[in-house]
Amino acid sequence: MKNKIVLMCLFLLQLGQGVAQNRFPKPDFESGYKYPEIHYAVSHEDLLVIVDIFLLVLLMGIVSWAVIKKRTRKPIIWVSVISVAYFGFFRHGCVCSIGSIQNIALALVDSTYVLPLSVLLFFILPVLFAFLFGRVFCAGVCPFGALQELVHIKSYKLPRTLSIILGMIPWIYLIFALLYAITRTSFIICHFDPFVGFFRLGGDIGMILFGAVLLILALFVGRPFCRFMCPYGALLSLFSSVSIWKIRLTDKSCINCELCHNACPVDAIRPPYTNKVNESRERGVKRLLNYFVLLPLMILCGAFLMRLVSNELSRSNKDVRLYEMVMQHETNPGEVLSVELEAFYGQGGVINELAEKAEKVQSDYNFYATIAGILIGLVIGITLIELSVKRTRKLYEIDHAACVGCARCFSYCPQYKIGNESGNTSL
Amino acid sequence: MNKLILRNIAIISALFIVTFSTMLITNYFQVRGTTPLQTEVVETLKQLNDENNGNPALQEQIRQLDLLARKAYFVRIDHLMVGVYILLGMLAVFLVSARLYFVRDKNIPLKAIDQMDEWIIKSKARKYVGWIASGIAAIALIFVVLSSPYLTTTEAAPKTEEGATAAILPETENEPEQINPTDSSAIETAEADSSKLPADSVSKQIPVSKITHNAFRGNNSNGITSAKGVPVKWDLGGGTHIAWKHDIPRSGFNSPVINGNKVFISGADEKARELYCYDLTTGEQLWTLAAVNIPGSPFKMPETTEDTGLAASTVATNGKQVCAIFASGDLICADMEGKKLWAKNLGMPDNHYGYASSLLSFGNLLIVQYDNQNSPKVIALDMATGAERWSKSRKEKVTWSSPIIAYVNNKPQLVLMGNPAITAYNPNNGEQLWRVECLSGEVGSSACSSNGVVYGASEYATLVAINATDGTVLWEANDYLPEVSSPVATKDFVYLATSYGTVASYDSKTGKLGKVHDFSGSQFYSSPIIAEGKIFLFSNDGKMHVFSADAEFKLLQSFETGENTFATPAFTDNKIVVRTEKSIYCVTAN
Repeated sequence: MKNKIVLMCLFLLQLGQGVAQNRFPKPDFESGYKYPEIHYAVSHEDLLVIVDIFLLVLLMGIVSWAVIKKRTRKPIIWVSVISVAYFGFFRHGCVCSIGSIQNIALALVDSTYVLPLSVLLFFILPVLFAFLFGRVFCAGVCPFGALQELVHIKSYKLPRTLSIILGMIPWIYLIFALLYAITRTSFIICHFDPFVGFFRLGGDIGMILFGAVLLILALFVGRPFCRFMCPYGALLSLFSSVSIWKIRLTDKSCINCELCHNACPVDAIRPPYTNKVNESRERGVKRLLNYFVLLPLMILCGAFLMRLVSNELSRSNKDVRLYEMVMQHETNPGEVLSVELEAFYGQGGVINELAEKAEKVQSDYNFYATIAGILIGLVIGITLIELSVKRTRKLYEIDHAACVGCARCFSYCPQYKIGNESGNTSL
Repeated sequence: MNKLILRNIAIISALFIVTFSTMLITNYFQVRGTTPLQTEVVETLKQLNDENNGNPALQEQIRQLDLLARKAYFVRIDHLMVGVYILLGMLAVFLVSARLYFVRDKNIPLKAIDQMDEWIIKSKARKYVGWIASGIAAIALIFVVLSSPYLTTTEAAPKTEEGATAAILPETENEPEQINPTDSSAIETAEADSSKLPADSVSKQIPVSKITHNAFRGNNSNGITSAKGVPVKWDLGGGTHIAWKHDIPRSGFNSPVINGNKVFISGADEKARELYCYDLTTGEQLWTLAAVNIPGSPFKMPETTEDTGLAASTVATNGKQVCAIFASGDLICADMEGKKLWAKNLGMPDNHYGYASSLLSFGNLLIVQYDNQNSPKVIALDMATGAERWSKSRKEKVTWSSPIIAYVNNKPQLVLMGNPAITAYNPNNGEQLWRVECLSGEVGSSACSSNGVVYGASEYATLVAINATDGTVLWEANDYLPEVSSPVATKDFVYLATSYGTVASYDSKTGKLGKVHDFSGSQFYSSPIIAEGKIFLFSNDGKMHVFSADAEFKLLQSFETGENTFATPAFTDNKIVVRTEKSIYCVTAN
C-alpha cells in the first residue's frame, strides 16, 4: 500500500509538469516595440531517445519474462505504471509505435522522407518481440494499453459476435492510415489519437472526450482501444499468432474448468468446441469453397469502389483542398481571402504548379486507394472464410493473435495455483 | 481497508468526477468562445485609431485594454488547468479505491455470456459481416453517385443547347435562361429554354468549366489563366478545332471575356453601342444589350482613330453582372440574362485616340480607369446598382492602359499605369498605397504582377519592376518595350511583345534580357496570356505564336489563322475564344 501511495504521488507530480501551450495574437498595430528573439530551450532529446529505446526493450523484456517464464502479473502492473508515466505523461505519447506505422509506410514510398532511427526502432522492436514472445508490447509497454489496463476494474464480456465484427475495424483503420500516410495527406493515427490529449493535458476537445469514453468503457470492458481500434495491434497480432515462444496458461494438463476463459478481459481464450449444429460437412465445405471463389470478387469490388471514391478521398489532402480553394477564388476573385489563400498568394504561389501538385496527389490516390480497396476486400473475405471454418478444440486454448499478455488468466488457473501457492494474486 | 469505506470513496469520487468534468467542459467552451481582443470596445477604439491616424493617447488606452484582456484570458486558462489537475487527482483516487474494492473478487461469472454454440456465433457474425460489407459498398456507391459532377450539373441546370452538347452556368444554375421581353433595351435575344429542346439533349449535358476569364487578360487582368487542356493549334480556315465562328455585328477592338457558358464582347459604331453575349458551347448569340436612353450620353460620338474606335475597352463580369464602357463614356451593366440593371454616362472622355481602358471586376466592384485630359480619375462602382463606392482623382495625363489587381503580402492592390506614374491603390477604399513616377509618353499597355512584384512597361519609357510592398524600384530595363500589348510575368521571367515584331523575355529578379524572338514585319497589339506553362500571343496579322513560359522561351507553335487579330483571346478549360477584326470564334481541344 505504501508503495502505491508513493507511486501515486510521483505520478501526480509528473502530471503537474505538463504545461499547455497557448497561442495568442500579437497586438495588431505598431508601437515601436521590438519583440525579443525567441529561444526555444532544447531538451536533451538525443539522450531521451536513447532512454526511450532502452526502456522500450527493458520493459518488453520484463513483460516477456513475466508472461513466458514466470507466469505472473505483478511485474506487468509495474511496467504499465512506468509506461504510462514515462512514455505517456513524460514523453507525451510520442514517439509511439502505433503512429510509427505511418512513418514507415511513407519512408517506403518516398525516398526523400528521412525516417528517424528511433521511429524505425519503435516500429520494429515490438514486432520482433511479438514474433518471439507474443504481444508483450501491448501487455503494458504501450502507454495506451497500459492506461486501459490500469483503469480496468472489472471485466464484463461483450457478445462474441460483436467482438468479431468490431475486430475488423483495426484492419480497416490500418489500411486507411497507410493510404493517408503514403499520399502525404495526414497521419490520421496521430490526428485521431484518443489518449494523447490526456498525456499532454490538452488537445482537441473532441478527441479528449472520445478518449474519456474509451477509458470509461475500459473500466468494465477489457481494452476497447487495443481490440477494436488499434492498427498496430492488428499488425502485431499477425506476428503473435506465429510467435516462437507462446504464452501458456499452465505446464500441467488443462482440466477445462473455464476459469481462465471467464477471467480473460480481451476474450482471447477459446473454449473447447464440439460441433452441435446439425449441418452436413458437405454444406460447410461448399460454403467455404464459395467464399474462396468469392474472395477475388470481393477484392475486385473493394478495388473498384475505392477507385471510385479516390478523388473524393484526395480532397482531404492539403494541396488538393488548396487547389479547389484557389479555383473557387479565381471564379469569384472579390471574396475575402481565407488564411490558406492569403498564404498561397502571399508566398507567390503559382496556380499551375499547385494544379500539378494536386493532379499528382489525385493520381497517387487513384493508385493507392485501389490497393487499399484490394486490402479491404481481402480483410472482409478472409474474415468470412475464418468464420466458415469449424475447428475442434478439446481444451481451452489461447488465441495468440488476440492475447495481449495481460497475465490475468494465470492466477485463475487451478493447475497453475497448485505449483504457485505462494503467488500473490491480489492484482 | 474496510470494503465499505473503499466503495464509498469510489462512489463519492465518481460523483465528483462527473460533476467536475461537466463544469470543466462547460468552462472550456466558454473560454474557447472568448475572443478577448475582439470586443466591441477594443474594435471601436482600433477603428478610431485608424481614422485618427494614430492618436498616442488612444493607442495607450487600447494597450491597457489589450493587456487586461490578455490577463483575464490567461487567468481563465490557468483556472482550467488547475481544474484538470484536480480532476486527474480524483480519477486516481477513484481508480485506486475501485481496484482495491474489487481486488479480492474473482471474475467468475456463473455462466458464459454466449450460451449458444460457437458455430452459431460464427454463423451470425458471418451474416453481419456480409451485411455490413454490403452496406458499406452501397454507401460508397451512393456517395460516388451523389458527388458526381455530372449528376450535380444535370440537376442544377434546366437549360440545354441545341445539338449534342449543352452546358451549365454555375452562377445562374437555378434561374431559367431568358431575357426580359419587356426590356426595351434588349434588342436581340436568344432563349435557351430546355423545354424546347429534345429530351435526349439533357442527358448529353456537359459541365461547364469553373475557370473564368472575367476581364481583359483574364481574372485580375494579370495575363495568367488556370485553364487546362487548352488547344495549341487550330485551323480557322479548315475548321479544325473550331467549335463555332460568327461575324460580330459592330466593330470593336475589345477582347472577349468568359464566365460559365457565356462569352461577352462589345461593339460600337456611329449608330449604336452594344454589349453581346454568346453561348460558349454553341456560339449562339444569346442576347444583345444596347447602350440607349442613358442620361448625359452625347448626341454625337467622339472622334476616335481607326485603330481605337468606340469600343476598345473590354467588358468585365463578376458572374452576376456584366458591364461595358464605350468611348462616349456610356457605361452599361446587365445581369447575366441580358437584363439592363443600370446605365450611366461618366462624362465624355477627352481622349485624342479614343477611350480604351478596359473595365475590371473586383468582387462586386467595377473598377474604371478614367484617365482623360479633363479629369483623370479612378472610380469604383457597385456592379449591381452602379452606385459609386469610391473615386480618386489622379495626377496622370491621358492613358489607354487598364487596371489590374496584384496580390501582395496577402492583400489585393489595384495597380494602374499612367503618365507619369504607376500607382497602387487599395481596391476596397481607393487609398493610395504607393506611386512610382517612371513612365512617360502615351501609356497604352497595362501592368502585370507576380510574386509581390509589379512590372510595368511602356514604349519610349522603361520596363520597371517595383516591389509592391513598399513601392521601391527593383530594376529597370529598356531593350524592348511594348506600345499596346501588355507584359506578363511568372516568378522567374517577364515576357513582352512590341509593336515592331519583337517578343522578349527578361529575368524577373534582375531585369537581365533573356531570349528574344524577332518576327520582322509583324506587330503585336494583343497581349500574351500564360496557360499551362505556355505563352499564347497573337500578332496583328492573325498569326498565333505559342512559346514555352520558361528559361528556354522556345517557340513551340506559330501558325496563321487568316484573320487580323488585335484583341487578346479569352481562355477556359479546353477552349479559347478569339476576337478577330470582324468575327469571334471558339477554338476547342475536342
